[in-house]
Amino acid sequence: MITLHGVSKTYNEGRPNEVTALRGIDLAIAPGVTVLMGPSGSGKTTLLSLVGCMARPTTGRITLAGEVISSLPERFLTDLRRRRFGFVFQRFNLIRGLSVLENVVLPAAPLGAPRAEVEARALSRLEALGLAGKARMPVEVLSGGETQRAAIARALVNDAPVLIADEPTANLDTALAHRFLDIVAGLRAEGKTVILTSHDPRIISAAPVTAVVELRDGAILQVRS
Amino acid sequence: MTALNRHRALLDFTVAALARRRVKTLALVAVFAAVVFLLASAMFFAASLRREAEATLAGAPDLIVQSLSLGRQTMIGAEAVPQLAAIRGVTGVEGRLWGYFYDRINGANYTVMVPDTAAMMPPPGQVILGEAVPRLRDFKWQGTPLFLSRREGDLVRFDIARTLGTETALLSADLILMNEADFRSFFNVPAGQFTDLAVSVRNPRELSTVVAKATIRLPEARFVTRADIARTYQKLFDWREGVMVALAFVALLAFAIFAADKASGLSAEEAREIGILKAIGWDTRDVIAMKLWEGGLISGGAFLLGTVLAYAHVFWAGAPLFAPLLKGWAVIYPEFRLTPAIDALQLGTLFLLTTLPYAAATVVPVWRSAAADPDAVMR
Ligand SMILES: Nc1ncnc2c1ncn2[C@@H]1O[C@H](COP(=O)(O)OP(=O)(O)OP(=O)(O)O)[C@@H](O)[C@H]1O
Ligand SMILES: [Mg+2]
Repeated sequence: MITLHGVSKTYNEGRPNEVTALRGIDLAIAPGVTVLMGPSGSGKTTLLSLVGCMARPTTGRITLAGEVISSLPERFLTDLRRRRFGFVFQRFNLIRGLSVLENVVLPAAPLGAPRAEVEARALSRLEALGLAGKARMPVEVLSGGETQRAAIARALVNDAPVLIADEPTANLDTALAHRFLDIVAGLRAEGKTVILTSHDPRIISAAPVTAVVELRDGAILQVRS
Repeated sequence: MTALNRHRALLDFTVAALARRRVKTLALVAVFAAVVFLLASAMFFAASLRREAEATLAGAPDLIVQSLSLGRQTMIGAEAVPQLAAIRGVTGVEGRLWGYFYDRINGANYTVMVPDTAAMMPPPGQVILGEAVPRLRDFKWQGTPLFLSRREGDLVRFDIARTLGTETALLSADLILMNEADFRSFFNVPAGQFTDLAVSVRNPRELSTVVAKATIRLPEARFVTRADIARTYQKLFDWREGVMVALAFVALLAFAIFAADKASGLSAEEAREIGILKAIGWDTRDVIAMKLWEGGLISGGAFLLGTVLAYAHVFWAGAPLFAPLLKGWAVIYPEFRLTPAIDALQLGTLFLLTTLPYAAATVVPVWRSAAADPDAVMR
């Protein structure tokens, strides 16, 4: 369970280019699949980055499994990120020049699992996303959809309890989007937490989704379960 | 196990990252190796010269007595031997025969000597040659005799007993060792005359007393102590090393500029990559460990490459880059090979001087950016 109490986020506070991206967010995210939706600029990515310990809220508290994480020092946040979360970024953020497989195994490097085991896990994720054949290719030759799938595989490699995915199906066709939903359904069945952002009606109305949170101008408009 | 796997994974990433920037990596290693090469060459060279000097000194007598006439060295008579031997503290007086010979055939200068040990004494009619002499005379086959010509129409034949090894090539390269009888007849030196006398004393601390007493008995003579020889060598090497220290300084300076440039910042691409790594769960220590591997692979590889090349340059190729420094040194008139001598302390210092600044230059900017918020990569 992840909870947010009175969370707000203001960028460039006190400067002329000050932006309040989130205001007064109270939200409980239970295990299952939560989708954040809302127009561009409504604060979806900002919310994900707060929950994923990438940034700290300007005000308010965030808890993860009962522990307040919003005030932890950076050292602990990194540790949390590595053990609790898998991330799919809106812009994928694969490392150019490395192969798909080399990219996918990166989150596992600091954890010190045996290489063979990590590679096997990475390959099975790529397999599930129909990308096993491209494992040895450099990521810059991949198509948009392939890049997105590589980014998804990377987020899954550590088997983290929480998957955070920012627009994970934006570049996928219907068949591939369903493959992704199958994976998400599998995670849900394992009792894990998935937080997605999406504009995609195929996702929002999909079977595994347990809650839809609608954002508007940095505030919650409504929550549907 | 976990720590090992972690480092293995970090190393894998480093190798992959270096491989994809192949050209940049190779350029870096090349520059780095060139600096190490110059410094290591200078060091090997200096260490080798020093070794040669030490070897000479080790073989030098405690005291050399020369006879002077009109301020120039002349042959010294054997009658001085018992006079010196009678001084308290003197344990031995040995007449030495040596001189220089100008080779009319090829314009080279040789040092001709009667060795002071039986082991080095060639049989009559034979000579033992320094390493460079056969090369200078272009001996094509084993067993070629050595013909020496003192004047027009004169030709004296010597058979070659053997040639000397290269243990102290610098000082023995142009040497010709002769039997005493051959030496006297070749150079026309009457019996009872020597080039100089080598005196050994029981206690080196008594040397000045011995010299004082000997001066009274032989007022015309000149006395050269081992310390005098050491000083002469020291001057010679100080000068040569000074030139090389200057050279080393220039190389280090170039390296410092190069490292400072690297330390001044990361490229936007590198900074972004570090942001990504942090976002997916690498912490600052992981990033720094990875960068240390990177710096270690580059600097370690370059150090190894530079050192091996320097070794080949100095000890196999005869240090052609430093040849101008050696010109004008009469003793080594012929070309010669330096004897390999490595000063482990100096090499270790060089390793630290080049590798540590490089590692620091690699890690410091990473430290700064690895401490930054990973939020930026979210969008
Ligand atoms: N680092 C930042 N500095 C200044 N403003 C920022 C920063 N990050 C986000 N913002 C602003 O915060 C607001 C919310 O941004 P956010 O990325 O959360 O929107 P979003 O809902 O994800 O939009 P999209 O659907 O286009 O991805 C935007 O107005 C954005 O310009
Ligand atoms: Mg966004």
